[in-house]
Amino acid sequence: MHWAILSGIEGNLEAYEAVLRDVHRQTPTVTDLFILGDLIDGTPEGNVVVERIRHPKKGELVPQVCKGAWEEQCLIVRGLAVEPEENLFVLEKGGFVLRQLWDNVPREMVQWFSRLHFGFAELDCLLVHGSSLGVFEKLTPDLSPLILLDRLARTGSNRLFCGRSGQTFKYQVAKAKLAATVTTLDSVEEEQNYDVGDRLIIGVGNVGRQPKEATYTLYNPETDKLIFRTVRYGKTAGFR
Amino acid sequence: MKLAVLSCIHGNYEALITVLDDVEEQKVDQIYCLGDLVGYGPYPNEVAALVRSLDIPTVQGCWDEDIVDGLNACDCSYPSLLAEKRGKAAHVWTDKIIHPEIREYLAQLPKVIKKDQLAFTHGSPQSQHEYLLPELDGFLALERVLSTGADVLFCGHTHVPYVRTLDEGSLKFSVQTDSSKAIAAKQEFTTSIKQIINAGSVGEPRHGRPNATYIIYDTDADQVTMREVEYDYKKTCAAIIEQGLPKIFAWRLAKGMEFAERADDPTHLCERGV
Repeated sequence: MHWAILSGIEGNLEAYEAVLRDVHRQTPTVTDLFILGDLIDGTPEGNVVVERIRHPKKGELVPQVCKGAWEEQCLIVRGLAVEPEENLFVLEKGGFVLRQLWDNVPREMVQWFSRLHFGFAELDCLLVHGSSLGVFEKLTPDLSPLILLDRLARTGSNRLFCGRSGQTFKYQVAKAKLAATVTTLDSVEEEQNYDVGDRLIIGVGNVGRQPKEATYTLYNPETDKLIFRTVRYGKTAGFR
Repeated sequence: MKLAVLSCIHGNYEALITVLDDVEEQKVDQIYCLGDLVGYGPYPNEVAALVRSLDIPTVQGCWDEDIVDGLNACDCSYPSLLAEKRGKAAHVWTDKIIHPEIREYLAQLPKVIKKDQLAFTHGSPQSQHEYLLPELDGFLALERVLSTGADVLFCGHTHVPYVRTLDEGSLKFSVQTDSSKAIAAKQEFTTSIKQIINAGSVGEPRHGRPNATYIIYDTDADQVTMREVEYDYKKTCAAIIEQGLPKIFAWRLAKGMEFAERADDPTHLCERGV
């Protein structure tokens, strides 16, 4: 079992093709391809990525796709999803993006987005675009370890893969200890001990945002081996 | 300095005035209120008006929020469909009789009050609807306290008082940004002792007895006293039935418990307000 986990193609078909070629070259063979959302970038040209994902070529893996922020925002624009109280995506991109999505993303494509999962729970791993809390939340390694533990606790998994930040990172909680006592009204005192070990939050990188350089993640759930791949494409192509 | 911390009065005027008498006897310097002035009980306007007239620093509870913003129940609001049905009936009744100036008062209540190293909130700092149960994972409980920047977090919402001390917290972690290089090898995160103090409920206790509960906290001695005060709950029960509220509210008030609807899932975390 060998997974390739991508996120944030953002309408960049050239980058996606380059990553697919790199995935195809891997040994051992990649058995599952996950795409953690942000397929589009709101431009008409960017929509071709969706068609490419929906119709893989013969012999290619069929991608397992979940919703990203761009897809969720498409649903919100069309009234198919509830807007969060504070929409960080619109704050970040600007209000014009709403009109862009309305004009440029076909209704049929939005319907396809509406059928996408929030994420995937597989073999003690949760794979989502944002976090276990929502698609718009950005998990980064500089967040408090307790916030990251909270997001892990919400998953019921020990491995959380996310793509919203665009970064590749492996954040490992190696060991955590806490002692607590609870006293109730009837003066009953209960002692509590908490031990946490080996929890991972993984940022899987971003395929399309940075020109000529795509990042993605390879993961083996049986051995827990994790590899971050950087794929250079275009005129200065090369691999690292 | 001696503080009294009250929570979850729920329109129970009889319980509130009895508790305020007890507070006076205890010679406290300052009272704080953790919200839920309205809901379930028959005297929401009177309770809110009294708390406001006494200038008690008060945070907004989940019921107060729902009366202001409309019912927007999340998964944590009601532990069962039955509870939700009855809760909605109580919401409709309260919404109908609440005075405009009381609604305005409830609307401007903050979610968190911070005073030196103390923080006051209704459910949890991230949501008025989140239950900080004593069995909640210790690290998650610690995160809720640390998010306020305080050492002691006062909360209510569960209707059962407790004091939880979180001690010897340590967490080792590392961050790696590519396959070969750790940018933050083996960092350690430690915290000093933190406390969560749940004030229980003045107006709708659920600790198995009908008496009102609240907290006295001595800031100088760092000492917590859980107070349990008898009051004439039968008066409130009679008023609940008289006002046409669901009879089970009177039943559970008399028993000091929730009937088949305890919010007792410590693994459930609220998704609102984060």
